[in-house]
Amino acid sequence: MDPTAITLATTFVPFLAFAVALLFFMRQPVVAKAIVLAGGLVSVAGSLVLLAGGPREPVRFLWFSSGDVTLHFGFIYDGLSLAFGAVVALITLCIQTYSVGYMAKDPAQTRFFAMLGLFGWAMLSFVYAVDLLQSFIFWELVGLASFFLIGFWYEKPAAAAAAKKAFIMTRVGDVGLFIGILIILNTVGMFDIPGLLDPETGLRAQVSPGMLTLVMVLVFVGIMGKSAQFPLHTWLPDAMQGPTPVSALLHSATMVAAGVYLFARLNPLFMASEATLLTVLCISTVTALLSSTIAMVERDIKKVLAYSSISQLGFMLMALAAGGFFAGVFHLITHALFKALLFLCAGSYIHHCDSMEIEEIGRRGGRKMRWTTAGLLIGGGALAGIPPLAGFWSKEEIFAALSHNGAMVFVAAAFLAALLTAYYTFRMIFLILLPASEEHHGDAHGHGHDSPAVMLGPMMLLAAGAVLAGFGGGWLARLLDVEREHHTLLAMLPAIGVVALGIAWAWWDFGRRSAARTGLVARVRPLHTLFVNKWYIDAFYAAVVARLTDLLASFFHTVENKGLDDGFDGAARGFVESGWLTARLQSGWVQSYAGTAVVMFALFGIYLGLR
Amino acid sequence: MTLTAYLLTGLLLFSLGLITVLSRRNQIAILVGTELMMTAASLNFLAFNRFTALDPVVGQIVVLVIIGLAAAEVSIFLSILMVLYRSRHSIDVEEMRELKG
Amino acid sequence: MGFPLLTSLLLCPTLALLVILATPPARAGFVRWTSLVSSAVALVLSALLWARYDAGAGGLQFTELVPWLPDVGITWHMAVDGYGVALLMLNSLVYFAGVLTMWDLAERVKEYFAFMILLVIGVYGVFMTQDLFLLFFFYEIAVVPMYPLILVWGSTRKEYAAMKLMLFLLAGSALLFPALLAIYHEAGLGTFSLVELAAHTFDRDFQLFVYPFVYIGFGVLAGMFPFHGWSPTGHVAAPSAVSMLHAGVLMKLGAFGVLAVGVRLLPEGAVYWAPLFAGFAAVGVVYGAFVALKQTDFKFVIGFSSVSHMGVVLLGLNLGVMGVAAADAFNGAVFQMFAHGIMTALFFSTVGFIYDRAHSKTIADFGGLGSQMPRAVSIFIVAGLCGAGLPGLASFWPEMLVFLAAMKTMPLVGVCVIAGLVLTALYVLRVFETAFFGPPNPRWKDLPDLRGWELLPRGLLVAVLLFFGFYPRAMLDLIGSTTQLLAAGF
Repeated sequence: MDPTAITLATTFVPFLAFAVALLFFMRQPVVAKAIVLAGGLVSVAGSLVLLAGGPREPVRFLWFSSGDVTLHFGFIYDGLSLAFGAVVALITLCIQTYSVGYMAKDPAQTRFFAMLGLFGWAMLSFVYAVDLLQSFIFWELVGLASFFLIGFWYEKPAAAAAAKKAFIMTRVGDVGLFIGILIILNTVGMFDIPGLLDPETGLRAQVSPGMLTLVMVLVFVGIMGKSAQFPLHTWLPDAMQGPTPVSALLHSATMVAAGVYLFARLNPLFMASEATLLTVLCISTVTALLSSTIAMVERDIKKVLAYSSISQLGFMLMALAAGGFFAGVFHLITHALFKALLFLCAGSYIHHCDSMEIEEIGRRGGRKMRWTTAGLLIGGGALAGIPPLAGFWSKEEIFAALSHNGAMVFVAAAFLAALLTAYYTFRMIFLILLPASEEHHGDAHGHGHDSPAVMLGPMMLLAAGAVLAGFGGGWLARLLDVEREHHTLLAMLPAIGVVALGIAWAWWDFGRRSAARTGLVARVRPLHTLFVNKWYIDAFYAAVVARLTDLLASFFHTVENKGLDDGFDGAARGFVESGWLTARLQSGWVQSYAGTAVVMFALFGIYLGLR
Repeated sequence: MTLTAYLLTGLLLFSLGLITVLSRRNQIAILVGTELMMTAASLNFLAFNRFTALDPVVGQIVVLVIIGLAAAEVSIFLSILMVLYRSRHSIDVEEMRELKG
Repeated sequence: MGFPLLTSLLLCPTLALLVILATPPARAGFVRWTSLVSSAVALVLSALLWARYDAGAGGLQFTELVPWLPDVGITWHMAVDGYGVALLMLNSLVYFAGVLTMWDLAERVKEYFAFMILLVIGVYGVFMTQDLFLLFFFYEIAVVPMYPLILVWGSTRKEYAAMKLMLFLLAGSALLFPALLAIYHEAGLGTFSLVELAAHTFDRDFQLFVYPFVYIGFGVLAGMFPFHGWSPTGHVAAPSAVSMLHAGVLMKLGAFGVLAVGVRLLPEGAVYWAPLFAGFAAVGVVYGAFVALKQTDFKFVIGFSSVSHMGVVLLGLNLGVMGVAAADAFNGAVFQMFAHGIMTALFFSTVGFIYDRAHSKTIADFGGLGSQMPRAVSIFIVAGLCGAGLPGLASFWPEMLVFLAAMKTMPLVGVCVIAGLVLTALYVLRVFETAFFGPPNPRWKDLPDLRGWELLPRGLLVAVLLFFGFYPRAMLDLIGSTTQLLAAGF
């Protein structure tokens, strides 16, 4: 079959499902669900067929042209898009299936599923886009779907606020990206990604190094917004206000990964700009460390996962910026699998224990949900980087890439971040698995029973992925057409050691029988305060950025009302007043008129006489 | 008596009439003032008629017209005053300022 | 000369107006149906124009030329280029949707529709005429009915708003009229024909002197910063369909006038003044967004967003004149006129619906409206997202084109207006958050949602936004050839 038709089906059918479900089946959630799931299935089938077909030439169609701008619409089929497209489609379907169980009692579930369809369309179209502007369009639409999904329970003020925050903060990044894209168009005259990447005729050949750095930094600002990098990361933890499947889909596996994907897409251009790479490396390192520290003290299970997502995204960008293209993409894919799994586990716990607090879940017997707990162990193990789970292999690649190209400080930072990752992951696991105390009150909430099969099935599928994906490295390298070094066991020892240390530390603080279950950080007051308050970044935004915007708006509002409006009103009133001034001559007193007339006649007579 | 004496008398009469019209608040007084001014005009006509006119009849006719006119004017003016007084209980011009801007 | 499509399009509402004037006031239903039929026929005629306009050939088409007052050189000269076709379509769409939006009006129905149709006639006339005198004539016809429409059927400080609007617009006309007469006399051709005047090259000093009069005169109607004050106040006070026409079409008259008279007849003047006016327009873009952020009334938010979006149009016009990326800028400006027209019409149509049911326009009065009237809210959200320049909706493309031209011509200005996108998103989302999201307010629990035919006008406008959002070629192909001709001059 024609790959173009398959891609069109893969990307567009979810949109169709969205439109049909929303327009015609608002009151029949069962039908709507079926339609959206069918759409997801088509996407998976299509993306797998494309993947099986292997890389091939991109296709392009003319979308429109205006003046200097000629915009093409098309699809790119290299290893990157094929692999990531398949992962996105697969995870989307998994999570749609999971949602059938998770959202079963929600009165507005049609809207939920429709929006999942919208998201699938936008995300897949973004992945396969061949044109930078086309990418940008779907990049924005992904953000839109995210807005609706985060704010799905819009009657909760916190959810509405989180949706708005996510949209605005990514918008800030998007402004940078948009400016960058426009500069690219103005200097090179095209948006075509393969064309831009071309070393002979592309962007590198046509602009000065300084300009290239400017453009790539601007593009990276967009990535910072979307992939939640410091300092634009604070929307992601708030976005956990959305339903858990949304967090699993958007805020771990797909949407936030879009930024990393864009980096990988434009990798050769980033590689050409040293200054940008250093910037990226610094920012992503700060992000990876900063968010790990917050995850160490966070009590909400979803927020722990959210901060770990931020940290892992930082990891990927570190790898990419250090020239580890394969390492970054590999981690992108493994992370998508195990983080989606972890979120689904979290959702399963929340569903049954009615709480997002880790300790509360432990107290209410979360560990008795065997399948979910198994998923948590596999996902957590992969996240921490326990061999032979997926996360271990990709993280190992990242260490290798960093030690090849980065300065020692970045390698050390990466090891520290990995240590913290292992620590906070197992803090979570121990708190659920080995709670300090446990409630024993019959089976009122169905505690101990696990989630329905429709939820467990996708979790098991993802768990299998999290176990096995690590061994797909060689295959992925061939697909991406990159050399992959062979790592000896000796080289892997430091990575294993770090993980072991992290787990041991977590065991000391939270696992053993006599542990205080407060953690080391809690005993260092200033640090604890700093971490719990998320390094005061949100507070800074609220106190400075938000207030500054408000001040400016108030200023302009005052200018409008007190300056312009009152000014024009004043001018109008001035005219009226001047009318009154002349009107005062009109005394209405006949004798004064007559007197004036006499005086005027007399003056006129004198004038005539003198002439 | 010379022409100048007549004209000065006319001027005096006219000025008295004008001052009366411009300064008095009672409309009857104003009416008297206008009558004075018309008398001054008549006097001028007669004086010029006596000393300079080619055909002495013209001035006398004009004066007769003025007297007739003044009579008509007085009657109309008084009737207006009657109506005004009936509606406003006053014939003070200071109070009639409805045209004030 | 084939079938006089343009005159028919003009006659269609004119006939409706005559019929309505002859109808006894009590027969409101007949008045409504007459308006609806005339607007539907006008819509069909506009679609026909769009379909039959040969975009490949470009230039003025459907020409009708009948001498009217030959002694002073006034001709019934009707012809449209690609821009005209697009804007006529815009007017028809807004007219149609406007009639349906006001279907439930109960007070002085006959007079209302008569004035509204008079306004529509004026707008049609401006967009299709090629005679300077007729242009001004129709321009005034379009402006004047706003006064009674706001004064009689309006709300919220309507006397003030109507008077303010009238004073601003007449001040604009006062600048304009002498300028137009000066153009007529300076050319010395004894004709008002825009085509012949455009062929004449005016003295450079004359152009430099007269252009600001033309630009500001028309610019006032286009909501040009800092002479935009009348527009938000007017929006707020006017009844919904009048706000729709006012923001959707009437403000475009100003921008169209700048293009058809200022840029076309006085190109050198336009070039000279463009940097200054582009600066004002850019300030307007950011300024409008900031002020919208502080508003408490739905309609004021939309009113100031109009100032901001019309700033994009004016910015595009001036950037086009500056010539670095002329084609993109002109395309963007005209496309934005169309997209913004549809978008604000949708805004006001929906806000009007909410206001008619709830009798409140104060954002803070609402809350959780999303669960109460999901359809109305969804439609408002579509309009809002279009306003925020989201891809997939019509506004994205013109904004992109104008920003592109801005980046090329005046990079600093470009960066500022693009950064304004964050503000746009902020004020739009603020309305969503406060009014539509959050816990439902029990006060509104009996409010009915849009249903049945009420969805028709809003649905139509949403469909138009989506269509041009995904298929911008439809518009760019239509206006492209006209733009090429225009851009060649700069």
